Amino acid sequence: LWLHRYATFLALSTFILIVAGGLVTSTESGLSVPDWPLSYGQFFPPMVGGVRFEHTHRLIAATVGILTVILSVLLFRMDSRPWLRNLGLLAVLAVTFQAILGGITVLYLLPTPVSVMHACLAQTFFCLIAAIAFFVSPEWKNPVSVTDGERGSIRRLLVLTTSLAYVQLVIGAITRHSGGKGVSFHIIVGFLILLHTLFVVFKISSRDSAGGLVRFSSHAVLLGVLVLIQVFLGFGAFITTLMMPKAEAPRTAEILLTAAHQSMGALILAGYFLLTLRVYRVTKDPS
Amino acid sequence: MKISGLLVLFGVFLMIGEPTANAATLTGKVAFDGQPPATQKLKMDADANCKLMHPEGVEDDSVLVNANGTLKNVFVYVKEGLKGKKFDAPKDAVKFDQKGCQYSPKVFGIMTGQPLEIINSDNTLHNVHSLSNSSPQFNLGMPIQGMKLKKTFAKPEVMVKIKCDVHPWMAAYAGVLDHPFYAVTGDDGSFEIKNLPPGEYVVEAWHEKFGVQSQNVTIAAEGDAQDAPFQFKA
Repeated sequence: LWLHRYATFLALSTFILIVAGGLVTSTESGLSVPDWPLSYGQFFPPMVGGVRFEHTHRLIAATVGILTVILSVLLFRMDSRPWLRNLGLLAVLAVTFQAILGGITVLYLLPTPVSVMHACLAQTFFCLIAAIAFFVSPEWKNPVSVTDGERGSIRRLLVLTTSLAYVQLVIGAITRHSGGKGVSFHIIVGFLILLHTLFVVFKISSRDSAGGLVRFSSHAVLLGVLVLIQVFLGFGAFITTLMMPKAEAPRTAEILLTAAHQSMGALILAGYFLLTLRVYRVTKDPS
Repeated sequence: MKISGLLVLFGVFLMIGEPTANAATLTGKVAFDGQPPATQKLKMDADANCKLMHPEGVEDDSVLVNANGTLKNVFVYVKEGLKGKKFDAPKDAVKFDQKGCQYSPKVFGIMTGQPLEIINSDNTLHNVHSLSNSSPQFNLGMPIQGMKLKKTFAKPEVMVKIKCDVHPWMAAYAGVLDHPFYAVTGDDGSFEIKNLPPGEYVVEAWHEKFGVQSQNVTIAAEGDAQDAPFQFKA
């Protein structure tokens, strides 16, 4: 349980890191610190203007990196499953690679492919940590047995929706880091995710179709609410960034909407990933 | 001796006289027609040092209409007509200062290969980030007051935006050319381009908000003086 709490804390820290990274992009502060890994040659530069966002992001990233190394050590010491230990190592590799990508974005002045990779790896890492937290949870250790219902079709639906959410992450990152390119695809995939979410909520909330999986209905409904909010955030981000004339400096509404849209996307992706894992973990009730 | 002395004197006269003999001057004013957009106050709360210098913030300087109805910070330059001609870049640097958390000058011209001396006169840190497409971009940290750095642009480009990512309201524009025939309008909206050889040219005027305008100009003879007025509309 202690390890589960620690991994959950790391997942929460990772989410805060994603919010901080989103604020760096939204405030256009990514290059306010021209050097890396130091900031203006220091560990703690004056926190003024864009430096506040960029350097805070770096500090949180360093913290998450250290916490990830600790998680990996804890997994080696406290868990005997080799595959989970390997996942812990993978997380360390991922966070290290992510830091290097962050450095490249600074030193090479935000090349779009690297910025997109940095954005995608951030949320992939978030999903990985959330999954590790689940793998060390009581729910994983004591899987529940449920009556079958339409478990097969719900599993397929969840895999498809999670995949769509990941595709949406990639398209969204391209849109965000290339000044709006691919926004039409982003909207289309967003609409598909909304449709799939309605199916997911409907299927898991109905005892007829879900059988014992109905126990996950609150998780599905929460995702439904998040996706609805996300649609409004997306429209807000679209209007403020692509329809309104560009201001000398990013407006507050633009900053908040785009950062919230990106962060909500991360929550939805991880939420779907976790729901899929939970549904796959349940065993069939023999009765 | 006397004849050779006279020849030397004549030669000296020719050498001194040549630039002025070939020199035509292109002048003009950039008029502004219409209602200028309402200026916005730029708050400098993001940096206490900047706010200290401008407690009430500063007016957005992207559109500056002069008292005589002309437009300031218009970059006027010869766009076409100089193909095949080469001009040496001046060794003197163009000074580009960060003062009061604003750029000075806001719009300027520079030749390829000419040094750009970037100065930080502020008691706060800045980064200087060029968004050039033709020349390699640069992003320099200038954390110390009084710090100076030098950079050059490799290829012509009109215009190169320069920004500070620490203070997002700071933006300047450099017209990078491989010839010296350019000017920027000042407080009276006028410009003067000197020493232009005879020829047919396309002259363009660029403004940050109102885009570009161009016109054909013919310098018929050496010593010609030509007027090329421009007008931007809101």
